[in-house]
Amino acid sequence: MDVSAMIPELLSALPLTLAITFTAMVAGFCLALVASTLRIRRVPVISNLVDIYVSYARSVPVVLQLFVAFYGLPLLVALFGAADFFSPNVAAMVGLSLYHGGYLSEVMRPAYLAVDRGQHDAADSLGYTFRQKIFRIVGPQAIHIGLPGYGNSIIYLIHNVALVMYIGAADVMATAHLIMERDYNQYQFETYLVLAVIYSVLCLIAWLVIRFFELRSPMQAPEAKATTQIRHALISNA
Amino acid sequence: MFETDILLQDTREILGAVPVTLGMALLIFPLSAIVGSLFALVEYRRVPVLRELVMVYKVILKGVPMVVVIFLSYFGLPAALQFLYSALGIDANAHLMPNWIILVIAITGCVAAFQAEIIKGALNAFDTGQSDAAYSLGYTGSQLFRRVLFPQVALTAIPDLTTSMMVIMKALSLGFAIEVIDIFAQSQLTAALNYYYLEAFVIAVVIYMVIAYIVTQIADRLEQALRIRT
Repeated sequence: MDVSAMIPELLSALPLTLAITFTAMVAGFCLALVASTLRIRRVPVISNLVDIYVSYARSVPVVLQLFVAFYGLPLLVALFGAADFFSPNVAAMVGLSLYHGGYLSEVMRPAYLAVDRGQHDAADSLGYTFRQKIFRIVGPQAIHIGLPGYGNSIIYLIHNVALVMYIGAADVMATAHLIMERDYNQYQFETYLVLAVIYSVLCLIAWLVIRFFELRSPMQAPEAKATTQIRHALISNA
Repeated sequence: MFETDILLQDTREILGAVPVTLGMALLIFPLSAIVGSLFALVEYRRVPVLRELVMVYKVILKGVPMVVVIFLSYFGLPAALQFLYSALGIDANAHLMPNWIILVIAITGCVAAFQAEIIKGALNAFDTGQSDAAYSLGYTGSQLFRRVLFPQVALTAIPDLTTSMMVIMKALSLGFAIEVIDIFAQSQLTAALNYYYLEAFVIAVVIYMVIAYIVTQIADRLEQALRIRT
């Protein structure tokens, strides 16, 4: 088996995998913002619908969600009289965005709720408007709490992008299957090992980016400094 | 378009796969919890070499998608077992190993990495003053584990363990890649026969959501019941 020939061929399909990932990341983030806002605000009927959406995104296997998107979206579009424009790639993007949005809203909502109630009261008493309160006081603290969970959800998203081949998108997994079939299925184990390395590297990069933001977070520094100071104080006492 | 006539018949067929799926999930759950607890214990006790090995294991299995792990064990496990058989001189054919066992092993391996994290978190939440108190009262190590540590750690871990139960249920749907029939695979087979794809998948979605609801309810009840007694 020629790994040096296989890797460039696999990497040629990487842009599609990355495109699906980034679309799902951005669209999912917006969806999650809307969903968590609605779930925190408790608008009567809409909030219940959002609850159902979130439990759909979290309790149904992602393969199944992709299939539902693939077969269901054309039907939905047909109801409005539009032409069917769903290629497997678009269906994969929409399906994964819905999954990621639902999953992420369960990260955002607890992070927002974990911010101390007193912080809201203090901001209100100081005359902050709602927008100022979110951007200057509650937001930064919620981001600090939610960042590890966000990192996890990004890694899950990257894992789940590997499933889009089942609805016919030509991503890295699908290309690997093509390569294997061309070699009469002799080197399946080796090809999957190469795939495993590629996905590990993707996850590692995502993890490093999140880690960078975690360390850069303004709330991280004083805490870490404080604990080291306490430790130094204890050591000097001992 | 969406056919409602077909729903009842499809539902009956897809429900037939529920016991198998639940059975496999109930097999994987304790297995992965045991392996995960061992990993967590190794990290909690800081056992020198094993600790680094567990770290590497977790990094690898968390970075690789579960489909890839399942395919790797599908193509690698029988060969490895065959090698072991021939090395030990046992006359058996490892390639006859049924696919569902491969799936169970692969998912157990994946989920154990997550279980280890959950149980480590629960162990860290355990107040060490309690173990000091227990030791000062003359508890032995096994008594401490049975009467003080385990009840509290298990209770703390219940919500996350529920999530991992659902992760297992969802992971089993990847088994159709190696021809194991669970709820999702059954819905696909049913759809392939009568071409009503969306209908079959919607039924599967509803079944999964109902199972998730029931599992969450059971876990909540269990947690409440245990919390009152302590």
